[in-house]
Amino acid sequence: MHIVIVGGGEVGSALARALAPDHEVFVIDHDATVADRFTALDVDFIQGSGTSEDVLARADVKNADFFLACTGLDEVNIVACAIANQVSSPETICLVSRADFLGSASDAGLAQFGINRVLWPEAQLAVDIEQVVTAPGAIDAEVLAGGVVRLLEYKLEASSPLVAAPVGSLHLPKGSLIVAVKRAGKLFVPRGATQLVAGDKIILMGTPEAMAEVETLVRPGANRGRQRVTIIGGGDVGLQVATRLEKAGNVDVRIVERGEERGALLAARLTRTLVLNGDGTDLEFLESEDVGQSDVLVCVIDNDERNLLASLLGRQLGVPKIVTRVSRPGNLRLFERVGIDVALSARGAAVASILHQISGGTSSLLAVLEHGEARVLELTVSPDFVPRQLKGIGTPEDVIVAAILRGDHAIVPRGDDRIDPGDRILVFCTRAAAARVLAYFGGTGA
Amino acid sequence: MRLSLVVHVCGLITRVFGLMFLAPLAVALFYGEYRDALGFLATAVTTSAIGYAMRMAGGRDAEEAIERMRRVEGLAIVSLSWLLIAGFAAIPYVWAGLSPINAMFEAMSGLTTTGATVFRDFSHYGRAVFFWRSMTQWLGGMGVIALFVAVLPRLAIGGREIFFAEASGPDDEKVSPQIRRTASLLWRVYAGLTLAETIALRLAGFSWYDAVCHAFTTLSAAGFSPNAQSIAGYQNPAAEWVIIVFMFLAGANFALQYRALAQRDFRIFSRDEELRAYTGVTVLATLALMYILAGSMTASDNLRTSLFQVLSILTTTGYASVDFETWNQQAKAVLLGLMFIGGCAGSAGGGPKVVRHLLLAKFTMQELRRMLHPRAILPVKLGGRVVQNSVLQGVIVFFLFYLLTFAVCSIIVILMGADILTGISAAAATLGNVGPGFGQVGPMGHFADLHPVSRVVLTLAMWIGRLEVITVLVILRPEAWREGRWLSGTRASA
Repeated sequence: MHIVIVGGGEVGSALARALAPDHEVFVIDHDATVADRFTALDVDFIQGSGTSEDVLARADVKNADFFLACTGLDEVNIVACAIANQVSSPETICLVSRADFLGSASDAGLAQFGINRVLWPEAQLAVDIEQVVTAPGAIDAEVLAGGVVRLLEYKLEASSPLVAAPVGSLHLPKGSLIVAVKRAGKLFVPRGATQLVAGDKIILMGTPEAMAEVETLVRPGANRGRQRVTIIGGGDVGLQVATRLEKAGNVDVRIVERGEERGALLAARLTRTLVLNGDGTDLEFLESEDVGQSDVLVCVIDNDERNLLASLLGRQLGVPKIVTRVSRPGNLRLFERVGIDVALSARGAAVASILHQISGGTSSLLAVLEHGEARVLELTVSPDFVPRQLKGIGTPEDVIVAAILRGDHAIVPRGDDRIDPGDRILVFCTRAAAARVLAYFGGTGA
Repeated sequence: MRLSLVVHVCGLITRVFGLMFLAPLAVALFYGEYRDALGFLATAVTTSAIGYAMRMAGGRDAEEAIERMRRVEGLAIVSLSWLLIAGFAAIPYVWAGLSPINAMFEAMSGLTTTGATVFRDFSHYGRAVFFWRSMTQWLGGMGVIALFVAVLPRLAIGGREIFFAEASGPDDEKVSPQIRRTASLLWRVYAGLTLAETIALRLAGFSWYDAVCHAFTTLSAAGFSPNAQSIAGYQNPAAEWVIIVFMFLAGANFALQYRALAQRDFRIFSRDEELRAYTGVTVLATLALMYILAGSMTASDNLRTSLFQVLSILTTTGYASVDFETWNQQAKAVLLGLMFIGGCAGSAGGGPKVVRHLLLAKFTMQELRRMLHPRAILPVKLGGRVVQNSVLQGVIVFFLFYLLTFAVCSIIVILMGADILTGISAAAATLGNVGPGFGQVGPMGHFADLHPVSRVVLTLAMWIGRLEVITVLVILRPEAWREGRWLSGTRASA
């Protein structure tokens, strides 16, 4: 396929690296210094502005199948998409970082700019962080399919009742399901005979009601009072997380911001949050504000080194749960290895989502978990599929049907539930198994 | 400061103010009070003539300089023209037999919407004089300057500075980007409400004359009544309820009321923090007063009387539906406290204003929080918006000067022979533009027996209180005048 990428930053280069082997890729950036990143790749780098018709013509936009605008400037991205759409009609994907333009995008507004899809990685990250923060004890959390399905990830402790018996004989709340276990760095879908042990990370999916019960089951006697959350870094993500947590209620939020002017802006926008002017990597400051007493520390500075330092200081002070943003996807594993509970990468998720759309195309990627090792797909079962009960389906290895969406609610299937052609289903699978899912269900994207 | 400009604009305002005397002139002719009519005619002519002369004295330079009016000139114009207008408004009282000091007191009390009176015996004066007394309050309620900004095309641009110098409250609020349109819309709301109250009072059984006079003095939160016993003289519960409603509106922000009417969205009221606080104060004070007065009258009378008196003092109207001088000390303490609160910003009410108390309270809370978190950024917010530090400083300085002025005035009045309760309440009631105080200056009493020095000081207190202290005090600084020149600098040197 013919793909044009505007912007050679982190997202652009990650996309180019992944797409170069199979596709014809053009990268446009006005900054010649980023060209180095692309010399080793089999792509064509064009120096110039993504909003110039000449430059776009040199990238042969006329014949492009996909047009990806991922510079750091929202205005440039939007204008580039609009121009590309005038020249021809590629599938345009536009990244934004602020709410100003397309944050509350209506379809009409998008069509006016010729944008087919808007990605707002920071907002997605803020939602993910909020989910993790508001699920006490969980180390990862997602809401899927408009809120009818919830996903939680826990680290099992020796005291948990779940390590007592094999998965098949555990009494999980109705409407919930253990979809994956990660043990010794390897992720797999458990079978009935799998015995969970302390130290395992487990991923559960189910209806919101069932997952609320799961929380009490996995961590009996966990603190359910007001949560104290400290956010380090008052950038776009920090602000959005604080805003969302304020709305959630039951949470006392503090946000630490180094810049005084930015701090004043945060204080103006937020109502219940306490804005502190200080350096999140300054141990003395963190101690004086009793950050160690927080239930959750969220580090969202736009700099991996400082984030790591702030997170480690938080760990040192005794914060039980630490959520950290990672800008360079390569650092994700390292962060978790040194003891950070949840490391999240906004751009990593955005890249995965774009790649999924370009390569698979026919199913929707709802979530990428464990740094790309696992994913949740939503698809519509093909009409050729022979209806049968789940237990007789014999799903491929490392694939599990997590939910059947009927109307506006989800059914978490048991062995005797039946899957019919035309059903919308949520499937959990490992990365390697993703291709098998489509082959098996012959599905199309929802 | 360009003195020619100040004189010119003051002249402009005075000349038009002369036309205002035509209304009481008509009333005097209607009731056949020909002696008073002659007085009003003479005053109208004199005022307009002097205004015209002042306007001319300013000359062409001044006329051109209006559009480039500076802040200090705006403050000077507002301060001086209020004094000047009060002087002219006093002429009919002198004509009717008052001494100059008393006439000036009564005129200032009228224009500043105070409602403190030096009339000993109401039967000495004609209906036209009482009409004029009510009308000065109505003019002063929304602001004389605001009226002239609305009607004088000459002030369309230069009016900006003087409009805000006169407007009440710590924040500049507008309903239209254009100052002229803002002034005219606000006056329309004001006049509309006045008309509504006139009709309501007529239906409640007042004569047209009484209805108009009381509507004038309710909407301006002023409190003069042609009846010596104020509202108590009518013994009309229905009218009291009508007045309660309109006093509440007069003490609320007119810009807010305009917006609610224009957008047909009355949730604007519940979203406004100041209005919520204002309503809260009204309810709490009424409950407190009802508790104190319980047993002295029936429950429904108690509710009506307490609510009436709370609103009357809180909005700085100053009507009395009963003689609250006969109440016990506890009830008086509630009313005295209300004198230091006042109405909302942008209303006809005087006093320090609810919003200033709100800001001061929030500021104090944030400072206390800062003790716990020394590094926290803690802006003071009102209605979700951050209040600038300069505004907060203004509020604090305002309170300092307000209390200082209050202390100085009450001490002078007491030194001049009044008892302590009279002195304190007289100073609070005039500086806050409330009207009646307690003791000698109670609702059925008058200020005429105070020492002449006291009366002059209280006249100035009304002036200072109406223009919100700072406006006047700035002009009293020699620095404001040191660079005073007759002509604008550029032309004089050229």
